[in-house]
Amino acid sequence: MMNVPMNPDEVIEAYLQADRAAGSVQFSSFMQALKKIGLRDGGELARVYAARAMSPRMSYSSTLALRRWLLPARGKCSAGQPLRLAILGGSTLTQLVQLVEAFLVAEGIAAEIFEADYGVYRQEILSPGSSLDAFKPQIVFLATGFGDISKLPTPGMSRDEVARLAVDEIAGWSLLWEAANRRWNATIIQNNFEMTAAGVFGHYALRHPAARENYLDRLNRMFAEIAPSYVVLHDARGLAADIGSKHWFDPRFYFEAKMPCGAESLVTYAHSCVSLIRAMVGKSKKVLVLDLDNTLWGGQVGDVGAGGVRLGQGSAEGEAFLAFQQHVKQLRDRGIVLAVCSKNDEEKAREPFLAREDMVLGLTDISCFVANWRNKADNLRDIASRLDLGLDSFVFFDDNPVERALVRRLAPMVSVPDVPEDPAGYIAALAQNRYFEAVSFTKEDENRARYYTENASRREMDAQATDIESFLASLNMHARVETINVMNIERSAQLINKSNQFNLTTRRYTLPELRSMAQSGDWHTLTISLRDQFGDNGLISVILLQRQADTLLIDTWVMSCRVLQRGVEQFAYNQIVRLARSVGASRIRGTYIPTAKNSMVQNHYADLGFEPDGVDGQSTYWLLELRESLTPLATHIEPELING
Amino acid sequence: MDDSRERVQTIFRDLFEDDELILRDSMTAHDVEGWDSLAHINLIIAIESELGIRFAAAEISGLKEPSQNVGTFLELIRSKLRGTAAQ
Repeated sequence: MMNVPMNPDEVIEAYLQADRAAGSVQFSSFMQALKKIGLRDGGELARVYAARAMSPRMSYSSTLALRRWLLPARGKCSAGQPLRLAILGGSTLTQLVQLVEAFLVAEGIAAEIFEADYGVYRQEILSPGSSLDAFKPQIVFLATGFGDISKLPTPGMSRDEVARLAVDEIAGWSLLWEAANRRWNATIIQNNFEMTAAGVFGHYALRHPAARENYLDRLNRMFAEIAPSYVVLHDARGLAADIGSKHWFDPRFYFEAKMPCGAESLVTYAHSCVSLIRAMVGKSKKVLVLDLDNTLWGGQVGDVGAGGVRLGQGSAEGEAFLAFQQHVKQLRDRGIVLAVCSKNDEEKAREPFLAREDMVLGLTDISCFVANWRNKADNLRDIASRLDLGLDSFVFFDDNPVERALVRRLAPMVSVPDVPEDPAGYIAALAQNRYFEAVSFTKEDENRARYYTENASRREMDAQATDIESFLASLNMHARVETINVMNIERSAQLINKSNQFNLTTRRYTLPELRSMAQSGDWHTLTISLRDQFGDNGLISVILLQRQADTLLIDTWVMSCRVLQRGVEQFAYNQIVRLARSVGASRIRGTYIPTAKNSMVQNHYADLGFEPDGVDGQSTYWLLELRESLTPLATHIEPELING
Repeated sequence: MDDSRERVQTIFRDLFEDDELILRDSMTAHDVEGWDSLAHINLIIAIESELGIRFAAAEISGLKEPSQNVGTFLELIRSKLRGTAAQ
């Protein structure tokens, strides 16, 4: 999209700011830049960047490529003794160990990893004096699977014989758990058994106790029922089912190298296992911060009101938002603290929660509710201090890629999942990151969210300023300025007639009216279209100006709220001043007519440096004298083409 | 240099962390530092995903046999790429 040459740091930031699949910077360019930075400063910064780039959705080869930059950080990432983790199993574990290592470093969990030789895990655990005994693991991960079952039932076995076989099988595993716990006081992570290749009974397997699928189900159920509390079960079966057993297992690599699953599944597998370890060391995420408009409901409540937002039955989109709310509500009931961070007037943002019967989430579910027009990185810091929880325990979910980019850049310790455009994909987008794994569930968990109520911990706004300027510069914004013409008149009319919030006078005009204005000598029109590194925002602002003697009157000024705080207001101001000078005007006059919805622009003209110029009822008037000394306002937007 | 050779060379360079590595037909695993059985698997995986082709089980292990070298490997890749293009 943009062909501006970028230095390695810019390439890195652009890659890290964007969603993994959607960025303008490819992984290969990112790696080249990482290398340059690594050579420049000895690798410390490159390690930080590589850790931020890690994602469970990256390919196997890319993850291994990143791992090379991560590894020297072992033992360096957190204070205290590194975690001693042993990974054992009946298949080749080298690749799994490498990936687990990389994800641990990315999570900031320092660990020393013991990789047992292929297939000797029973001896390692049971024999005194084994090398595992010398290692004294704190966590023993039994990365075992179907191939590690000691004996499978045969079709001729009776129901009772199969049951006895299963009891014997489980006893063998219990022995390993008890030994590891007794000898090293270790916690065990135990895979259950995944369903891989097809069995021979087909559907009848459900009823035949000796059929493989049936038997594996039985063992998995018994694991869940009898495993003591020091055993954490890792749901390999669920993992394989989630990926699809045909994709999970790659028989070629099993036959060639005894790999437990296909290469791409291995990345998901390692990430899943590390998410459990993260939960075991108390580093699971605790807080889910949600945007509102187009995240919890469709549309902008500030424009269409609580009754107009799309939610609930009646449309597929409305149901998708409803389903996402239900998922979030279940997280809340599980003890995840919910917060809202929305660009809205607070009162309007609360309206759907109060007025809509079909809202699943209520205000009491939200422990901290922030709706204002400040940048979201600062708001997140504010929420963190009000809740007294670290930003590294935060997950930020927002449909707007620019907000995600801003938070990734200005608050990199916050986890920011990629969010698809379609709300039907929201639940999967959140769940696949395994942010909220747990190794237990107690009454305290159930009540935790309640402890963090807004009133209980209201704190002063944290005015810590972040580097918003460099973020805006990185967006690479270009604006096209045009008069209203045949190509854009319909979109201009739509914006004029639909905008409620960023709308100074809320005057509505029909298409024919706009057409005659565009052709009139007394009227001047400006439209602004904006594109940035994430794509084209389209036409986002319209200004209608009327010439009266030596004054240029701003009749209408509307802007899409999607581009707030990007400097478009200042950019537009510069264009108005330029236009006024070119037509020989000596002053510009603006009007603000308050409505129920446009309070966000009540200080608009004052903020731009206009002087108060009278009041008429509720309306205020503002004047700008076009002195020689008047200079353009600084923005990070490049003007592209001007025919105004 | 033909396209597939260049793409495979890039994969080799990334995997074996050697920006100067030049693929010659006569090369075998002995000539490339680090080309052990684990790296071999990683190489197969990277080539499959980068070029969108798929090796059969026999081809994966066959590449380690003494009669095989980079030249025969590239020929196998080219024949698979032709197969994909023909579909």
